[in-house]
Amino acid sequence: MSEQVESLIRKEYAAGFHSAIESDTLAPGLDEDTVRFISAQKQEPEWMLDWRLKAFRAWQEMAEPTWAHVHYPEIDFKSISYYSAPKSMKDRPKSLDEVDPELIATYEKLGIPLHEQAALAGVAMDVVFDSVSVVTTFREKLREVGVIFCPISDAIREYPELVKKYLGSVVPQKDNFYAALNSAVFSDGSFVYIPKGVRCPMELSTYFRINELNTGQFERTLIIADEGSHVSYLEGCTAPMRDENQLHAAVVELVALDDAQIKYSTVQNWYPGDKEGKGGIYNFVTKRGVAHKNARISWTQVETGSAVTWKYPSCILKGDNSVGEFYSVALTNNFQQADTGTKMIHLGKNTRSTIIAKGISAGRSNSAYRGLVRINPTAEGARNYTQCDSLLIGDRCGAHTFPYIETKNASAVIEHEATTSKVSDDQLFLCQQRGLDAEKAVSMIVNGFCREVFKELPMEFAVEAGKLLEVSLEGSVG
Amino acid sequence: MLEIHELFAKVEGKQILNGLNLSIKPGEVHAIMGPNGAGKSTLGNVLTGRAGYDVVSGEVTFNGKNLFELEVEERAREGLFLAFQYPVEIPGVSNMEFLKASVDARRKHLGLPDLSSFDFMKLARECSQKVSLDPAFLKRGVNEGFSGGEKKRNEIMQMMLLEPGLCILDETDSGLDIDALQVVSAGVNAMRDGARSFIVVTHYQRLLDFIVPDYVHVLANGKIVRTGDKELAKELEAKGYGWLEQESV
Amino acid sequence: MSASMTSNRQHTAAAAPLNAFQQQALALAAQQSVVGDNERLLSDLRKQGAQEFELATWPGRKIEQWKYTSVQVLKDYESAVWANGSGVSGEFVSERLIPLHATRLVFVDGVLDSAASDEMPDGICLFSQADELAAELIRSNLGKVSGSVSAARRNLFASLNSAWTQDGLLIHVGRNVVLEKPVYLVYVSSTQSNVVTNHRTLVVLEQSANARIIEHFVSEDNSVACSSFVNSLTEIQLGQNAHLHHTRINLEHESAAHIGAVHVNLMRDAVLKGFTLSEGSKLKRLDYQLNHCGQGASLNFDGVYLARHNQLVDYHTCIEHRVPNCTSQQVFRGIVGDKAKAVFNGRIHIFEDAQKTLAEMSNRNLLTSNTAEINTKPELEIYADDVKCAHGATISQLDETALYYLQSRGISPSQARMMLSFGFINELLSSVPDETLQDWLESWLRDRFSEDRSLVSDVRSLSASGAGN
Repeated sequence: MSEQVESLIRKEYAAGFHSAIESDTLAPGLDEDTVRFISAQKQEPEWMLDWRLKAFRAWQEMAEPTWAHVHYPEIDFKSISYYSAPKSMKDRPKSLDEVDPELIATYEKLGIPLHEQAALAGVAMDVVFDSVSVVTTFREKLREVGVIFCPISDAIREYPELVKKYLGSVVPQKDNFYAALNSAVFSDGSFVYIPKGVRCPMELSTYFRINELNTGQFERTLIIADEGSHVSYLEGCTAPMRDENQLHAAVVELVALDDAQIKYSTVQNWYPGDKEGKGGIYNFVTKRGVAHKNARISWTQVETGSAVTWKYPSCILKGDNSVGEFYSVALTNNFQQADTGTKMIHLGKNTRSTIIAKGISAGRSNSAYRGLVRINPTAEGARNYTQCDSLLIGDRCGAHTFPYIETKNASAVIEHEATTSKVSDDQLFLCQQRGLDAEKAVSMIVNGFCREVFKELPMEFAVEAGKLLEVSLEGSVG
Repeated sequence: MLEIHELFAKVEGKQILNGLNLSIKPGEVHAIMGPNGAGKSTLGNVLTGRAGYDVVSGEVTFNGKNLFELEVEERAREGLFLAFQYPVEIPGVSNMEFLKASVDARRKHLGLPDLSSFDFMKLARECSQKVSLDPAFLKRGVNEGFSGGEKKRNEIMQMMLLEPGLCILDETDSGLDIDALQVVSAGVNAMRDGARSFIVVTHYQRLLDFIVPDYVHVLANGKIVRTGDKELAKELEAKGYGWLEQESV
Repeated sequence: MSASMTSNRQHTAAAAPLNAFQQQALALAAQQSVVGDNERLLSDLRKQGAQEFELATWPGRKIEQWKYTSVQVLKDYESAVWANGSGVSGEFVSERLIPLHATRLVFVDGVLDSAASDEMPDGICLFSQADELAAELIRSNLGKVSGSVSAARRNLFASLNSAWTQDGLLIHVGRNVVLEKPVYLVYVSSTQSNVVTNHRTLVVLEQSANARIIEHFVSEDNSVACSSFVNSLTEIQLGQNAHLHHTRINLEHESAAHIGAVHVNLMRDAVLKGFTLSEGSKLKRLDYQLNHCGQGASLNFDGVYLARHNQLVDYHTCIEHRVPNCTSQQVFRGIVGDKAKAVFNGRIHIFEDAQKTLAEMSNRNLLTSNTAEINTKPELEIYADDVKCAHGATISQLDETALYYLQSRGISPSQARMMLSFGFINELLSSVPDETLQDWLESWLRDRFSEDRSLVSDVRSLSASGAGN
């Protein structure tokens, strides 16, 4: 690896500060009382507590999955605190004016203005700080068109029928080890309902921040797009720099009813750990959507953070003519590990799916694409196209591809392609010879490599994602 | 031999042929010229029955039979032959096997006995020599790794073997150098016997110097807008298609 | 959160109790009498094999390498005995075998049938007849090739093969020796049922040696079910600049169970050209483990699988690029119809520092029925950056344009489909080095396609008849 390239991979994690905000944090530990405590804090109805307890009991019987291409020390689930809320949230602020100024300052430092007048035009935002939602902007404006956008803890109380009907309908409590844990102890997250035929007038967005030490974040997001509706949703995440690993185990469920469209974009920038691989977030996430007749679900993700990522945003293409899409950039540097991909389960006739996955590995990191394309016997005329490309930067990293293709219908057409490439010294030399510095050259090459995915992101975030890559790549070039 | 009456056809939902009329008698050579997108290639594909080329209305009879009641292969066995503009490659299936299967099917339809392998080989070799194609090509996969010119010569060789009643040459001249053009033209001319008819689809007048047509038709916006003799082709060469297209709208 | 040892992550429990097949397999190993020189040569290998087999996790859906293939049918062999067929007839030899100009060695149920075999030339011998030089070669190579992969990836049936190795065949080609005639190994399963057979073959090509080997698995009588279980392992050590053409064809009766493997180590500048063709059966699992151990080595490897009726065929290939500057090119195609199931798992592993690697793999499939199943998994595991690696996998139908082209020349749709399905496979036969072999395979393939329409893709009629569930 050339020295110039090497020197490019080093920059500090910009979101790594800790805010001195007084919190009520539950002592570490995990048993049924923990679950009851969280439920009580949220003033949840009985049925919700029962739902959680059922999940918890199932989780106790389950084993942590070991099949992913990631290695980390065993996690002691009893040493984690499962609930932490800023003290100021005790008497929930009625408006933004009552929100702790330190909290607002934190978000401003992250480049996320919470005041509606200063907020990104056309983006409504739910902000989750450790275990609770601190503010949701534009809530009223959205309600005018019937769109519900609120913390899921509010939805459980205010829209119990919708929550009862759909919570766990896509990712059941026992789906997998982390989903079960999340179902038992989830603290907050966003809830979205788009009524029939409504095109959501603005981008919806949730911003997640882990602040407290030794806390885990277990958010739960549920998005329901009723018949013929459209919504675009974006999530972003950061955490302070700490030497300890912290756990983040989220569940996201999407329901796209007939003719509905959901576009879900993620820019994941949890703290990745330091150059020696110390600290960082363990990001074990279950994301899945069900697409009914003629519906479309599109996942776009830019994954640059976390020490370990285990994440497979998936589509169950249940309805005829439904469409699933997955566009992903996963960048790992230093000692980061990512095992990420998607599942496309074709059940309906003439269902189509597209997978574009770009993995970039630098330093001593490992990035794996793991994907499943399954064509059931009922999926007459199903189509899938998958493209997985890996870019290696340096000779001490790894890039892996594990696609599973299962077909039980003779009319299916499936194409899968994978390639690898590197940022070569020749490319660098050419760019430099034309007057570009090495850093610019590498970021140009990487950005070009990711273009197909970036173009799927909402505009403001595409720019942000490009910058994020540049930062994450610092000191990596080879 | 071929009667086309008020033919309308669609490709991928788009109307391409708009009431085309054409009558071809035995032994005649008709050239069809026209600008890109006029529907020249569509005509050949509609007549041979390619999937995706949908007849909206109109009638076509070939030797008195309603063409649209016949499957692709039945039309071929009746003696309708299309020399493709872009012949497809079929690796793994040898040219020889392919040709034998085609000739057997045609002969069976005509009530003729199968050729023995020996006789067929002999015939295939003769034909390949007529189009200057190395007989070694017979052993290779169908069109596999053939150059553009070799593919076109392979098409003409198939025409010779199948002895069709009506040959449609779809831009057979495209991508050919002058030598190959001469070989192909000589092959076609050798098959003009007073009974066999030809539709020569081309964009350029050049081919018509070698294969001299009895009629020249100009196709624009899906129908024939002008018919003349070979002098019309020269006029087109000089003036382009623009003036005719405007007339046809 | 701290990383501590107290967690609910499950530890691998102490070895599970052995199932009846495992017990019988070990009992069968114990029954064998390995005496004299062979005892000294093989006892360590046998012991180690038995031990590994005993400790290995039994295949199941949760075991990655057996995710799609059940070994449930091995239950049929819980009281199996060693097969011991007699020799084959002259008629069998002339009608069923490939008329190769080759040194032919016929094994019936694992035992050499001298009457049907040619005399062994220099360098080829049974382990039990090894002279001092041969014994030394066996000592230093047997088990070493298959033992050179990491323990986690070792196949328990390769271990079982070692445990069951009572005798075997050594093919040794000395330095600079070019073997004029190919070696044609025929493994015949007799019509006995409830029996097991073990084959172990060791091939050692010294520096710049050159050889062709054809392995042919066949049932003695194709009209009778022969429910034998065959375990066959061929280990190949290719010395510097050695060239080997290796062909393996598995065409036993569909009632047979076969688990086979070919392990090859390629030293510096060695060249391997491999071809494999297999029909499915009750259980057919074939593992190819190809290791680039010396720089400049290259391999081309093509494979074909066909499965119909209730058959299963499972190919696992793993190519390890352990050193820089090697190339591998792999092409596999399969057609699966009726209620059959095919599995293809093609893995390319580029080790750290294996720079300037060129590795490509392609897998294409035709599925001809909605009750059949194809599971394909092309894997890349890459730890070096200056490499060119690519894989592709498709599951599709016959090319519509090609079908139209054939029909426009008067060929009926059904014949056109047959020609194209045949062509899809036939294209790979061109990589078979021997013309006689190629012709034989082509005519076999032609027969297969004309006698059984289930391998001819005809999705349109499937949809029309509403067979899509």
